[in-house]
Amino acid sequence: MNRYERAAVGAVALMLIAGAAIFFYAPTDYLQGPVQRIFYLHVSSAIAAFGCFAVVLVGGVIYLRNESPAADRFARAGALVGVLFTTVTLVMGMLWAKTVWGAFWVWDARLTSTLVLWIIYAGYLLVRRLADPGRQAARLAAVVGIFGFIDVPVVHFSVTWWRTQHPGPVIINDALPPQMLATFLFTMACTVALAAVMIASRYRIETLVDEREQVFEPAKVLVAREPGGVAGPVQ
Amino acid sequence: MTYLVLAYAFAVAALGGYLFWSLRRLRELERIQRGPS
Repeated sequence: MNRYERAAVGAVALMLIAGAAIFFYAPTDYLQGPVQRIFYLHVSSAIAAFGCFAVVLVGGVIYLRNESPAADRFARAGALVGVLFTTVTLVMGMLWAKTVWGAFWVWDARLTSTLVLWIIYAGYLLVRRLADPGRQAARLAAVVGIFGFIDVPVVHFSVTWWRTQHPGPVIINDALPPQMLATFLFTMACTVALAAVMIASRYRIETLVDEREQVFEPAKVLVAREPGGVAGPVQ
Repeated sequence: MTYLVLAYAFAVAALGGYLFWSLRRLRELERIQRGPS
């Protein structure tokens, strides 16, 4: 078992404890009933996704400054894991919405801006997949990643900037009873830890693929070696 | 209750599935990097 697998086992164990807290420790919501338990992982996934996109932002800025392949790999890893967590946020939110609003989707500011966020970073991944790997693709993706991050504060503040069907912030408004708050904070910490493990293992995958395909190797001078002769550049 | 179960089933499948797939891919790439043993 390598260190990534050990870290993954630890993260999964933490998530199982969080799951036990969500279903057996947190009290049932008086108004919504058991379906309110979607809240814990729905919001935690959104926060983990924001963290992943912050990794894309920082990686992109560092890459544009000094063309560090490591920064680009972190950005790629962050984008993939961020899209995964945004997908989980959207799908869980839709299932929750169906129960409490009677519809899977409404074109509310929070839902729409989150969908736009998903499209931006799915586009980022598409750029990486379709463009020839190398410096040009990395620079273009870094710009997309940096500008794409503008949508993160829009998603966060959408419920205060516009009148939305989506509920406003409950954590900073101190609207959660202590047991619910403790369950949420623990689930959030576990989800962020899981995202960190996913980014670390994805970073390692990107490194091995780059090494194999020699994506960031400097342009090579082809060298021919004649039998018994001295090596020299190919004409 | 059905939607609660569906929501968590999706989350487990998506996050667990990705984690499992990425660890398998990583193991495969490290095996290739080490070369035939």
